[in-house]
Amino acid sequence: MWTFGRKIAAGFALAFVLLAIIGAVAYRSIGALTDTSRLVTHTHQVLEHIADVLSLLKDAETGQRGYIITGDEAFLEPYQTGTSGVHTVVKELRELTADNPNQQKRIDEAEPLIAAKLAELKQTIDLRRKSNVEETTKVVRSGEGKRDMDSLRAVLAQMEREERDLLKQRASEVDTASSGAKSTIVYGTAFCLLFVMAAGFFITRSLSGQIGAAVRHVQSSSAELQSAANQQASGAKESSTAMNEITTTISELLATSRQIAESAQRVAHVAEETSSAARSGDTTVQKSHESVNSIKRQVDLIVTHMLDLGKKSQQIGGILEIINELAEQTNILAINATIEASGAGDAGKRFAVVADEIRKLADRVGGSTKEIRVLIEEIRAAVNTTVMATEGGSKAVDLGARQFAEVTAALKQITELLGTTTAAAREIELSTKQQTTAVEQVNIAVSNVAKAAKETEVSSSQTLQTAGQLAGLSRDLIRLIQATASA
Amino acid sequence: MSSQSPTSTKVAELRSAFDRERAAPSSSRTELQTESLLAIRVFRDAYAIRVSEISGLSTDRKIVAFPSPIPELLGVASVRGTLVPVYSLAGLLGYGAETGQVRWLVLCGTEEPFALAISDFEGYMRMPRTQLHQIEQKDVARTHVTDVARTTDVVRAVVSIPLIRETIQERCRKSGIPKER
Repeated sequence: MWTFGRKIAAGFALAFVLLAIIGAVAYRSIGALTDTSRLVTHTHQVLEHIADVLSLLKDAETGQRGYIITGDEAFLEPYQTGTSGVHTVVKELRELTADNPNQQKRIDEAEPLIAAKLAELKQTIDLRRKSNVEETTKVVRSGEGKRDMDSLRAVLAQMEREERDLLKQRASEVDTASSGAKSTIVYGTAFCLLFVMAAGFFITRSLSGQIGAAVRHVQSSSAELQSAANQQASGAKESSTAMNEITTTISELLATSRQIAESAQRVAHVAEETSSAARSGDTTVQKSHESVNSIKRQVDLIVTHMLDLGKKSQQIGGILEIINELAEQTNILAINATIEASGAGDAGKRFAVVADEIRKLADRVGGSTKEIRVLIEEIRAAVNTTVMATEGGSKAVDLGARQFAEVTAALKQITELLGTTTAAAREIELSTKQQTTAVEQVNIAVSNVAKAAKETEVSSSQTLQTAGQLAGLSRDLIRLIQATASA
Repeated sequence: MSSQSPTSTKVAELRSAFDRERAAPSSSRTELQTESLLAIRVFRDAYAIRVSEISGLSTDRKIVAFPSPIPELLGVASVRGTLVPVYSLAGLLGYGAETGQVRWLVLCGTEEPFALAISDFEGYMRMPRTQLHQIEQKDVARTHVTDVARTTDVVRAVVSIPLIRETIQERCRKSGIPKER
């Protein structure tokens, strides 16, 4: 789409081109006219010189004839003037017709005739001075002078005719050039006027349409701008309020950051103390680990002894089985002895008593072996329990040793982590201080932003006012454009 | 040493009891008033056998089984250089075959001896005859029991070896075996 400036520039450029063409044509026509008039003037000069040649010869003849008639030298003045001026005029005539070979040829023809005439005149004048009139008249009557003069008249008449033809030709050329110039100027001017009018009409129409649309657009935009300015004003108020709240919050944040920095400092201090305590704990744990290893060795020894005790009790149990077997066999023997004694009658009564005693002893031995077996079983159970307990203790000691190793590793890790914690706490402290500084800067920046928000509120009011004025201006412009369009 | 160990005390008590028994005079009256019994268990039931009715007690004898129409006859065993038939007391008492290991053999009789196999022998016991009570009404299931022995903790049925012998002889007659041996 062409801009206004482009359209106007195109209109003016086309009009300028047309005017330049018209001017060029006019300039060319005027130049042609000037050339033609100069040539006409030149032709007139040639004609004057032709006439002068003839006139000077006539003057010379007139002076010759007066002197011949009167013999008075005073009548020779025209002769003197003619003879002296005719060569100059012929020379000028040759120069003036230098571009015309026909005229040069005719001048070549005329010059001998002029020389012959001037010689005839001088002869007659010289003769008159020397003799009388009759003698001179004879020479004149011979007609030689008249023939030369007639021939010269004929040549000059040819020259004059040619110049007249040239004059006519140039007059027609002037007419043609002037009429062309007139036509060009008149029609070109008319076309230019028509073009300028059309261009003005179209540009005006286009401009009024586009400007009208633009002004309507400006009007709607100014309305939108007005509403936006209203919103901006309310938003600026809200921003101002929010900025005040943010300022308060940042102040609280600043105080909190300072507290965090102090807390981080305390944490670093506590971490250092904890690190030294952990190192001390590590030494204690090392000692405890050695003690636990000693306990483990003792417990292993106890387990070995208890296992030996179990084996020994098993051996006792085996011996006791033998004793029990012997007691049982003794008991059987005693019972059989009793039976045999009772079968022997009175003779076996005392043997029966002995057998009964032996049986009782065997019973008691059997009872004692049962008690011993119970005791051995209790010992074995106790040994087993003790072995299991000591094995459990050994395992617990192993576990404790491993746990001590884990505790040692954990304490080392705690020490390392405490070192890391101390460094981190210091970094936190440093970062929090930097954060405090940054928050202070943010606080300043937010104060500036709050100020800017207030200024924005003011400027939005001004924008609102300006938008109103712009809306009024757009309405005026629309009225102007509509009036122009209607006009 | 003011205090003695329990084992030493018990040994002292045993010695004292033995000396007392040895020191006491033997009394035929006491002999007549007491009864010697073997305490056994058959399928957890308490029984007793009069020592006066048996001829011996043996243990851990090899019993060689042989085919017989009498199911209670377990086989024969060598006792004191003599082969004796071995019967299951539990079978004869009507309990059926023994489930446990038969360790004990009660030898009965001298002319035509036989042995009763028992799995659980509890011991020898002597008790007053007053504690033996004759069964007034014969129990159908306990045809071989004539008395019961009442002790402090249990009442034992006293198996009559003569009745057992009669039962064996009756079985042998029914099965066509002329003699046990």
